Amino acid sequence: MSITYLEAIREAQAKALADDSRVFIYGQDIGAFGGAFKATKNLAVEFPGRVLDAPISEDAMVGAAIGAAIEGYRPIVEMQFADFSTPGFNQIINQAATLYWRTNVPCPITIRLPSGGTSGSGPFHSQSMEAIYAHYPGLIVMTPATVEDAYSMLLEAVAIDDPVIFCEHKYLYYHLKAAALPTEAMPVGKARIARPGRDLTIVAYSAMLHEALAAAEEIASDGTEIEVVDLRSIKPLDTDTVVASVARTGRLLCVGEAWPWGGVTAEVIARVATEGFDLLDAPPQRLNAKDTPIPYHPDLWSVHRPTARSIVTAARNLLRM
Amino acid sequence: MKKIPIIMPQLGESIAEATVITFLIKEGDEVAADQDIIEVETNKATMNVSSPGRGIVRKLSAKLSESYPVGAVLGYVEVSVEEARRLGLDQPEVEHARIPANGGGDGKTGDTDRKRKVEPTVRGLPVPASAAGASYMSPRMKARMNELGLHAADLAGLAGSGAAGRVTIQDFEKFLANLEKNKLTDASTMRVAVADAMRRSWTRPLATVALPCPLEAMLAHRKVSEPKIGPALYALRALALALAENSATAGRLIGNKIVHPPSIDIGFAVEAEDGVLVPVLRNADTRPLSELAGRYNELVELARQRRLPNDATGGSIATVTNFGTFGLTWATPIPLPEQTLVLGLGAGKKVPHWDEKQKQFVPVTEANLTLSFDHRVLDGGAAGRLLARIATLLQKPEKL
Amino acid sequence: MLQTLESREKADIVSSFREQYLKAFRYMLLSRVLDEKMASLYRGGKIHGGVFLGRGQEALSVSVGLALRKGDIFSPLIRDGAGRLAFGEPVLDAVRTYLGSVIGPMRGRDGNIHRGRPREGLFAMISHLGAMISVVNGALLVRRFKKIEGVVGAACIGEGGTSTGSFHEALNQAAVERLPLVLVVANNQYAYSTPNSRQFACRDLADKAIGYGVNVHKVDGTDLEKCLHTLSDAVAQAREGGGPQMVVAQLLRLCGHGEHDDAHYITTQSKQSLFGRDCLKVAEDHLLRRAWADVAIIRKYREEIALEVEQAVALVQREPGPDPYKENWCALASRHLSERFETPDSADSP
Repeated sequence: MSITYLEAIREAQAKALADDSRVFIYGQDIGAFGGAFKATKNLAVEFPGRVLDAPISEDAMVGAAIGAAIEGYRPIVEMQFADFSTPGFNQIINQAATLYWRTNVPCPITIRLPSGGTSGSGPFHSQSMEAIYAHYPGLIVMTPATVEDAYSMLLEAVAIDDPVIFCEHKYLYYHLKAAALPTEAMPVGKARIARPGRDLTIVAYSAMLHEALAAAEEIASDGTEIEVVDLRSIKPLDTDTVVASVARTGRLLCVGEAWPWGGVTAEVIARVATEGFDLLDAPPQRLNAKDTPIPYHPDLWSVHRPTARSIVTAARNLLRM
Repeated sequence: MKKIPIIMPQLGESIAEATVITFLIKEGDEVAADQDIIEVETNKATMNVSSPGRGIVRKLSAKLSESYPVGAVLGYVEVSVEEARRLGLDQPEVEHARIPANGGGDGKTGDTDRKRKVEPTVRGLPVPASAAGASYMSPRMKARMNELGLHAADLAGLAGSGAAGRVTIQDFEKFLANLEKNKLTDASTMRVAVADAMRRSWTRPLATVALPCPLEAMLAHRKVSEPKIGPALYALRALALALAENSATAGRLIGNKIVHPPSIDIGFAVEAEDGVLVPVLRNADTRPLSELAGRYNELVELARQRRLPNDATGGSIATVTNFGTFGLTWATPIPLPEQTLVLGLGAGKKVPHWDEKQKQFVPVTEANLTLSFDHRVLDGGAAGRLLARIATLLQKPEKL
Repeated sequence: MLQTLESREKADIVSSFREQYLKAFRYMLLSRVLDEKMASLYRGGKIHGGVFLGRGQEALSVSVGLALRKGDIFSPLIRDGAGRLAFGEPVLDAVRTYLGSVIGPMRGRDGNIHRGRPREGLFAMISHLGAMISVVNGALLVRRFKKIEGVVGAACIGEGGTSTGSFHEALNQAAVERLPLVLVVANNQYAYSTPNSRQFACRDLADKAIGYGVNVHKVDGTDLEKCLHTLSDAVAQAREGGGPQMVVAQLLRLCGHGEHDDAHYITTQSKQSLFGRDCLKVAEDHLLRRAWADVAIIRKYREEIALEVEQAVALVQREPGPDPYKENWCALASRHLSERFETPDSADSP
């Protein structure tokens, strides 16, 4: 038996719907059609009246979710692409993120963002938006990199009483498979040592985790052991695990698929520089997408964001410093 | 009666101040609550400031055509106790923490503060051209070395495997681990202290010059002196007199200033157990040899017993060391980090001198006088002249 | 004269309408006096931030509040002081929020008209106009999920807010879901300084309803009697399953956009037109003309209200504001997931 990352998301939603009558899903094409990526396939039939098709109105979708949350329900909003969450940005950052702080009424909504690039998807179907949302107080931002985390973290997202931005990676949907769904999980807010090492720490998240692991494998052939940390959630970000890893290795390379300015890589390095300055044996490095919109042509796309190849180069440079 | 401030109200988003254009009342007038009393103008509109309560206008500190920031006190209205209670203003004013702000609630115009010049605060620290190269020490290296009390000098024997040969933390930790394999004994506190002093002193460019000095006069004088005067003391007193004539040679160079010595206090080296102590004779230029001898011997004894009082060390402008007692004829001692000069006296030896008059070699007892000095402060010439002067003074020991 | 059943019913209807009218009038008066008090506190430098009044819109607003009942959902907007009071919001909530009392519903974290009690059906607006309508929609959806019948959700907005994308999305959403939403558009002729001619190009705002497939009710916003009837009607239709109802009212904003604004751009023509009348005066004249109240009663109302407002202000002036050193400074309900960014010193230093 094997289960894909996408199937894990569907299973988690099915479980959430089954376990809690307050859960419902709202998004475009998610009812009979089962969703653009089939993340809600069959769920409208299994749970009639609880998987609703929305008009193309991301602002109203999020607003309605907030109203539902005020009334005690726990809606999941599926954005068709992360890139399309921007029409709903105002509701997310100004209403959902502030509701509890202003009124003491929690806002337990989950917004699923199909994120990240696949070949040919172009500027408006490839974005990674975790940093923008993480910037706003009042939001939780998750970036699962594994099938197991996609499942257990989505369940936790629905259970959390705060708005959760769930960044699921489109490339991992069908490419990543696991043998089984997990029975237990690390809590949100804890990063995972995906590969223990000694000579250099790579901090990564979401699809870049797999590129980092591939890079580490290649470098291992000359006896250098790279430690890879999977952040799992961006907010909260597990600074302790990252700093402890840098304590072990003395060298830090942070990799992200998003753009450099104010991205997750900037945040990680800021924290390590502040709290672990004396642990660094070399200047911390980061690898991000090029500072341009995401290109359509596969040849351009292939160099636009970090890959195992570019991570190997960056890591080797850092090792030589 | 309670005085209630008249406050410049909130004037709108992003409007910080307004100009007073008309006073609708004057001091001493009776006003009703909420009565318009001052007209003010912003760049968006004209508005009225109203009285905070029913009472009498006391003190209009605001001036016509002046601008005041939002929150500024423009004057006071004196109200009765009942009125204060009605307004809920009968609680004592709570002193809020004063947050320093650029505009103030004290009536000053916001303009003056904004126009105040900002002094640049760059402290003139040199910025490294690039933090790289063989001598680069990472933050982690620095932290570890600090923790272990190590300095770059301790790592002199360590070859680095990092970029340009710099020492990486792995090189360092491996080095430390390997040290453990050797026999290790604790260095005494004295040893560590001297090591630190020498390391710091060595950061300066040091040079040494030497001058052979005839000793007959001094030896003869010494034979009949009571109490016995050590050779180092003769040298010390000669140095003191020479420095009194020209103290610049013992000055310290800090930046582009020469700091002249405040008084001619000279130390002398005494070997004690695991290191060297340097007791000091104060104002050695003002006291003759006979007076200094007693104190000198006393200090030597105390030093040997490690019982030197605090005021007997430190603050010396030069040191004298008699390395001749070890049989050494020349040496290059290192001055203390706070000193520019160390005068050395080598072992006396009978050597042949050509006597032109007698046209033959005659035996003469002489010893090398050495001067090790901070070459930033003086050059060979000045050093040589100082030694020559000392040698000359030593030929007339009765005048010391 | 013997009262026939018919005439008694009519008399009953009139007398209960008279009671409603009187009740509405009193709320309008309370709202007006409270507004004026806030304005005067603002001019006296006692209020931080903006003050926004509902002067001229009390008749419309109070009618919304009175048409709703307990269990309904109400999302008022900037000028709905009267509606809030009619819906049950305590006077102290307004005073506390304006004066920044830590005891108020917003605890100093938000101010002025950004206040509410969401769990009690009174939503706290955010500043982005139109954003609250879909929130009402979502709440109504959940009532439907829970099979709670006969609920109505009302959202108020100005004609300026109808230009926003969120207004459009939300109204469309309500129509598609056939929700019992009553959307009350107060066309007060000016959005800040922007007149209608720069806000929309359709002949009549009410025409927009056709585009959404939604029922519309037009009303003279200065006439309390007409407002009470229209809102009662619209709410009833929504409650009975008639789908979303849009109400478009004509009136004039009789104050600045905020108290920092002197509204010099409002034309004399507007002020002198029919919808430039002060609805409070119109209602008072109506009461006197119909002999539903006399000058003495109205004076008594004014005195009671003045005292109520004064006492509320005096009480709140003694209350503390939030203490920045006692705040938990946490925006998450899940405390264990919050992160600490400041060093321990910065949180404690004055």
